[in-house]
Amino acid sequence: MSTLELYSPTDLSDALRFLEHGGGNVTVMASGTDLLPRMRRKQVSPATVVDISSFTEDLRYIRQSDGTIHVGALTTITDLLESPMFYGKLSIIREAGMLFGAPQVRNVATVGGNICSATSSEDLIPVFMALDANVKLVRAGGERTVPLKNFIVGKRETALEPHEMLAEVSLSPPGGHGWAAYEKLGRRNMLIVAIVNEALSLTLEDDLRTIRSARVALNRVSGRIPGLAVKTNDFLSGKKVTDQTITQARRVLASELSLTSDFRGSGAYRTEVAQVYLGRLMERCARQIGGPS
Amino acid sequence: MAQRAITINVNGTEHPVQIDTLDRLIDVLRDQLNLKSVKEGCSTGDCGICAVLVDGKLVNSCLMLAAQCDGRRVTTLEGLLEDPIMKRMQGIFITNNAAQCGFCTPAMLMASWDLARHSPEPSSEEIKVAISGILCRCTGYYQIIDSIREGCGRGKR
Repeated sequence: MSTLELYSPTDLSDALRFLEHGGGNVTVMASGTDLLPRMRRKQVSPATVVDISSFTEDLRYIRQSDGTIHVGALTTITDLLESPMFYGKLSIIREAGMLFGAPQVRNVATVGGNICSATSSEDLIPVFMALDANVKLVRAGGERTVPLKNFIVGKRETALEPHEMLAEVSLSPPGGHGWAAYEKLGRRNMLIVAIVNEALSLTLEDDLRTIRSARVALNRVSGRIPGLAVKTNDFLSGKKVTDQTITQARRVLASELSLTSDFRGSGAYRTEVAQVYLGRLMERCARQIGGPS
Repeated sequence: MAQRAITINVNGTEHPVQIDTLDRLIDVLRDQLNLKSVKEGCSTGDCGICAVLVDGKLVNSCLMLAAQCDGRRVTTLEGLLEDPIMKRMQGIFITNNAAQCGFCTPAMLMASWDLARHSPEPSSEEIKVAISGILCRCTGYYQIIDSIREGCGRGKR
């Protein structure tokens, strides 16, 4: 018999009340597709789990207001794929969704759970980072919004305070002459943890040649920590989209990645794939925007 | 308080069950309700052999706590044996030798049934995606894919 205390809140405010008074070693669980196997392997041993899949109405939505799209934390990956929102400039989300797990995982796995798991196997993190997404963190009687890039602070470490939970991700399509694209490499096409998972959001100036902003994000920038390729992004800003720029950017990317080896792939292999994907993503985005590639 | 009482509707019947908080849906289906079509393979969501429908959606029953299914509707292969689409699909699987060792077959049938309901004429790509979460270690995929195409097609007529 397990000693796990399981709390199934009736709604969001009930969940937040519980988190406020729940004591230590409390973990919030959405669908559990990531947490459950880890609990069974004893990689984590929370004393109490707050099962927020017990209610979904408050946190399962995809809404648009003033060009910003708000995605509730309990929105499933299948919900993303079935939504009319993620076409055109946000088709990157469908691209990632279609390569996420497999249908029966996508039917339950949630956007919020994927982000809060905060490790290199979470496919949506690079996508949302490239789109410069923000996350809304709520607690009883308050909320704050932080950039996703500041929310992930380490492997499986987030900026969440003990009484807080993630309620929403908000993002905007790349503005002006912009596009975003995604690449994922696994040992097979489906139901696979990525070896490399890379997203790019690119915006060009009116000349359709000069880069206004480029945001590359990867499932690993160091160790097993997802993040933005900050130096590469800085390097690309203001440059013209040319073969030479891409060649140089690939070198910058390699210099800033510090990737480790494991059974899925060596650090050197990951770095090489990340470089190849950078070129491919630049070309894909530039072609979509209509500039020279 | 590591126990709780829940009620799950399984294959159309309400089942009040006493569970441990860490029991998964598959544990209740197999061990308490004796529904052995639900197989346990990897226990981590990688093989899909434990697939069932929860509120009409295909899910891995090893990745869900039983407690999460309180008040919800679960369907296993046993609950679809008299369903016309499933009967037809099952017959075609048998005719086409789409089962080798048979261990993945219940899950393949559940995914096929789920696809057939939504898609009367799926492309090969759609069929592959529909069963992409289920591993057949005998690797007899082509017989399975052909059977699903046939099963879906006739399902509409």
